[in-house]
Amino acid sequence: MFVITESFMSALASIRAHGLRSFLTMLGIIIGVASVIAMVSIIQGLNHSVSQQLEGLGANSIMINSFTPREELLKGRRARLTPEDLTAISQRIDGIESITPFLPGQGGALRYGSQTAATNVMGTTYAYQDIQQYYVKIGRFLSVSDNQTRRRVMVIGEETRKKLALPENPLNEYVEYGGEWVKIIGLLEPKGTLVGQDLDDLAVIPFSTMRSLRGAQNEADILIQLTVSNLDNIDTVVDQIRRLLRKQHGLTTERDDFNIQTADQMKDMIGAITTQITAVMGGILGISLLVGGIGIMNIMLVSVTERTREIGICKAIGAKRHHVLLQFLFESVFLCLLGGLIGLLIGYGFGAMVASMVQDLPAAHVPLWAIVLAFGFSAGVGIIFGILPAAKAANLDPIEALRYE
Amino acid sequence: MALIELNGICKYFEMGDQVIHALDGIDLAIEQNEYLAFIGSSGSGKSTMMNILGCLDRPTAGVYSLNQHDVSQLSENELAEIRNREIGFIFQSFNLLTKATALQNVMQPLVYRGVGLKQRRTAAVAALQRVGLAERADHLPNQLSGGQRQRVAIARALVTHPSILLADEPTGNLDSQTTADIMALFDELHGEGQTIILVTHEPDIAAHCRRVARMQDGKIAENYVNDHAAGATT
Repeated sequence: MFVITESFMSALASIRAHGLRSFLTMLGIIIGVASVIAMVSIIQGLNHSVSQQLEGLGANSIMINSFTPREELLKGRRARLTPEDLTAISQRIDGIESITPFLPGQGGALRYGSQTAATNVMGTTYAYQDIQQYYVKIGRFLSVSDNQTRRRVMVIGEETRKKLALPENPLNEYVEYGGEWVKIIGLLEPKGTLVGQDLDDLAVIPFSTMRSLRGAQNEADILIQLTVSNLDNIDTVVDQIRRLLRKQHGLTTERDDFNIQTADQMKDMIGAITTQITAVMGGILGISLLVGGIGIMNIMLVSVTERTREIGICKAIGAKRHHVLLQFLFESVFLCLLGGLIGLLIGYGFGAMVASMVQDLPAAHVPLWAIVLAFGFSAGVGIIFGILPAAKAANLDPIEALRYE
Repeated sequence: MALIELNGICKYFEMGDQVIHALDGIDLAIEQNEYLAFIGSSGSGKSTMMNILGCLDRPTAGVYSLNQHDVSQLSENELAEIRNREIGFIFQSFNLLTKATALQNVMQPLVYRGVGLKQRRTAAVAALQRVGLAERADHLPNQLSGGQRQRVAIARALVTHPSILLADEPTGNLDSQTTADIMALFDELHGEGQTIILVTHEPDIAAHCRRVARMQDGKIAENYVNDHAAGATT
């Protein structure tokens, strides 16, 4: 213990004595750790906020869309979800809280006066607001009777209102969509952005209106979103829907021609993506620490040569091998840890700076494991790349070392 | 028994296909509180002698007993231990740690002995006082004159209370006035009972010593007692 504290103190003194060189030696580690921590903090921040947004979406929501396997697609067939499927699900499945179809518009911009906006227009129903937790700020949402009577009404998001240069209160204005005039009856509360996507740039019209606007084409492919009343039953509900849809679609041995996704699955998916990116970052961290470590070894070897005489003196007055070994080893470990710490601070600062400067990026977030990993790796690098110079110093012959000029 | 007994000490170096006999069968006994000078021309084996006596090097053949222990075949770490406890080194070029203060330099040998900081400081301050440099304790070596540096080196050698003080041309880098001061210090230490062995090529320095061993070609050519030694009178 005594040896360790003494070696530690003398390593510290030596680092302080060669301030500039110690800093330059650490630079490799600092840059490596800083860049990776900056990236990780941004990515993890992103992941953090996506998870939170998805949670806001409701863990109890289920999304169903059609899915055409590749070989079917090549045969020219396309799987579809139909309004009949929707009816079947809503009538025969228990435990559903609300359910709504989506019918995406077929492109076509919105126009108001001379302004046009290529906004995502959806046909949906009253239940949409509960499932997506989108509520109107002013006016009202689509009602059941809007759908029954195919009223030409529209609820828009804040961003869409701005794009179209509609007045602050856009109620009772008419916009043109698909060659028809549609009246605005509601403005949604702003929701911000998710993964760089503006959630406020949207417009919804009644499902039945959208169907009629799309005209006499083949029955369109719809999306269905629903929420379950009891989260514990979500797996059962998913199962029941799957069986029902297979029956509806007359599938026997073929694969499902639809996808059922829960919010959890989406979260997992996004989590998996960020985990992969983070793993790649970890690889880069490894490489940069390796490079930094080689730099440290290089400088430590120079330092051993430069201090040969000093080592000789210490040996002459009674330093044993482990005294010299530990001093140099501590020096390299300490350099690495210090570099790791500085890198961590710079990286976090940089990540926070980028996150605050770039719009749509959530606040930076450094997970504990990244800190532990950065420090662990730095210390490991210090030991691995410090052992060779330290051993070289410890093995110096005292007479040779004293004679060294 | 004598403090140091050398029996048939040989040290050979291989230089290419030539073998150099740096020491060639040295027999010598050095008693407690002796004041001995090795003199001789360069290449006569003085420095090799010092390295062996100082346990920096091991003889090729022969037995070296220090305090009645055979140290000629000890391991490197055991030799380090002996250097730390039994031997105080003083070099021609002082060999102080340049980044450490006088006090830190003097404390350094005690670090390897495992002495705590407080005791180290006390012992080092006492040693610096002994050589008359207590007020310079916090100076770096390059802030001190040559004579002061050598005093620090002497304090570093003394702080462990070694059995032998080994000085290799201790005044080689000093002017005549400082040389006189340093030699007066050695005389005093000898008077206090310290065993001192030094290497020199200056007759004036050797004149301080009670005994002089002249070396030639790796052998002791002459070994005489100097009755008129300055050291004898103090």
